[in-house]
Amino acid sequence: MQRAVRDRRGDATDGLTLSAATHGFGAGPVLEDVTLSVRPGETLAVIGPSGTGKTTLLRLLAMFDRPDEGQLRLDGTDVWTRDERGRLAARRRVGMVFQEANLFGASVRRNVSYGLRVRRDWPTRLRAWLRRKTGAPAPISVTDHLSVVGLADAADRNATDLSGGEAQRVAFARALAYDPDFLLLDEPTSDLDPRNTAVLEEAIDTAAARGIGVVVATHDMDQAERVADRVAVVLGGRLIEVGATERVFGDPEDPAARRFIRGELVY
Amino acid sequence: MLVEFPFERRYVVSIVRVSLVVSLTAVALSTLVSVPLALAVGRADFRGKGAVVALVNTGMGLPSVVVGLVVLFAVSSDGPLGTFDLVFTPTAMILSQTVLATPVITGVSLAAVTSVEEGVLDAAYALGGARLDRLLVTVKEARYGILTGVLAGLGRAMSEVGSVLIVGGNVARADGTSVTRTLTTAIQLEARQGRFGLALTLGAVLLALVLLVNGVLLRLGGRRV
Repeated sequence: MQRAVRDRRGDATDGLTLSAATHGFGAGPVLEDVTLSVRPGETLAVIGPSGTGKTTLLRLLAMFDRPDEGQLRLDGTDVWTRDERGRLAARRRVGMVFQEANLFGASVRRNVSYGLRVRRDWPTRLRAWLRRKTGAPAPISVTDHLSVVGLADAADRNATDLSGGEAQRVAFARALAYDPDFLLLDEPTSDLDPRNTAVLEEAIDTAAARGIGVVVATHDMDQAERVADRVAVVLGGRLIEVGATERVFGDPEDPAARRFIRGELVY
Repeated sequence: MLVEFPFERRYVVSIVRVSLVVSLTAVALSTLVSVPLALAVGRADFRGKGAVVALVNTGMGLPSVVVGLVVLFAVSSDGPLGTFDLVFTPTAMILSQTVLATPVITGVSLAAVTSVEEGVLDAAYALGGARLDRLLVTVKEARYGILTGVLAGLGRAMSEVGSVLIVGGNVARADGTSVTRTLTTAIQLEARQGRFGLALTLGAVLLALVLLVNGVLLRLGGRRV
């Protein structure tokens, strides 16, 4: 399927790029020599079997961990050479949704507005806190963000009362609320029913149409084919193939990638 | 009638006041120490963490009489706090109750802090939270556990007899009003003197106070009960 050409926001130097990155947790590298880039407005699917390093790859992109070797560049600047303040500013341009919703034990409104609130200065936050304690109405409207995931009326519900599908949709709205430049999704629909999956895939399209660069790690190849402009295949901690979705699924160059896509690769 | 008013009324009111001031001040001080300590130990990885946790847990069972003796020595004229002349004062009682309540509040808060799901803190990080924001999320997610710790510390402080008797001396003025006499030490004194009616009344007052303070703290903590 050839997706519509989108109005990209940046030039060729824009993007989130992992360059020759190797990373591990003691017993050998989980990811080895990976170079991968996502540009504003495109959706990149990272596919591969479970345990192959997709989550580690996303955590490197989200700046949870510094790669043992290699670089992570945001718009051409190595984020790990910046000081903590600079890195926080870089982090605040990237959002991530996890396999679990990981919502805070608070209302949906508080969850969705979190990213906006932490970006305010402390005096503003303290004033907002005092207003809230005195019963003033919430200054941040989250209805628009929730309507993207079909939960416009859920703002005042407690996050702990949501179903799994609703919680994941709120997690998605929460990551989109502060309008990140890049959005990383780690198996976001693996525990969801088809209806919730369809809602989230539509929201991914909406995000990319807004110019957000989206990376979706998934082992669901049908989903990758549905949502992605480009696909990266990760096997055994190595990036073995990356290219346009139609080309990778139609005619993969790497033999292992071909076997994985055809479902022949036993892992 | 169990209590001969009005003399006992002034007596009881002064005892209640001393009990509340000493216990609430001690618990407030303990909380100021315990919550940051629980956050520091609970969220950090360092050598000897297990030993620190074991020490805190051991402290939860500190014998109050031993604490009383140590504090009495500390505030006596030969002790390091001797120059402040604190023997048989409410301040010394606050000190001993703070020592007793701190491990309780720290221990329970520590358990609450370490049980906060890593995924929730990851979410705070991914949403752009700075270091302080993630600490605030930890406190917020652990708030009911921390509140339970504060209530347990308050229970320990308000029901305390041994150490407050040693460092406070159970002193009352000539008109019968309390200087360092608390509800628990008064109950002990009245029972020993055979005034069981008054002792039982004081016991009921103590129970009502603990219930009231717990209710207020739960309400402030926003816990749904």
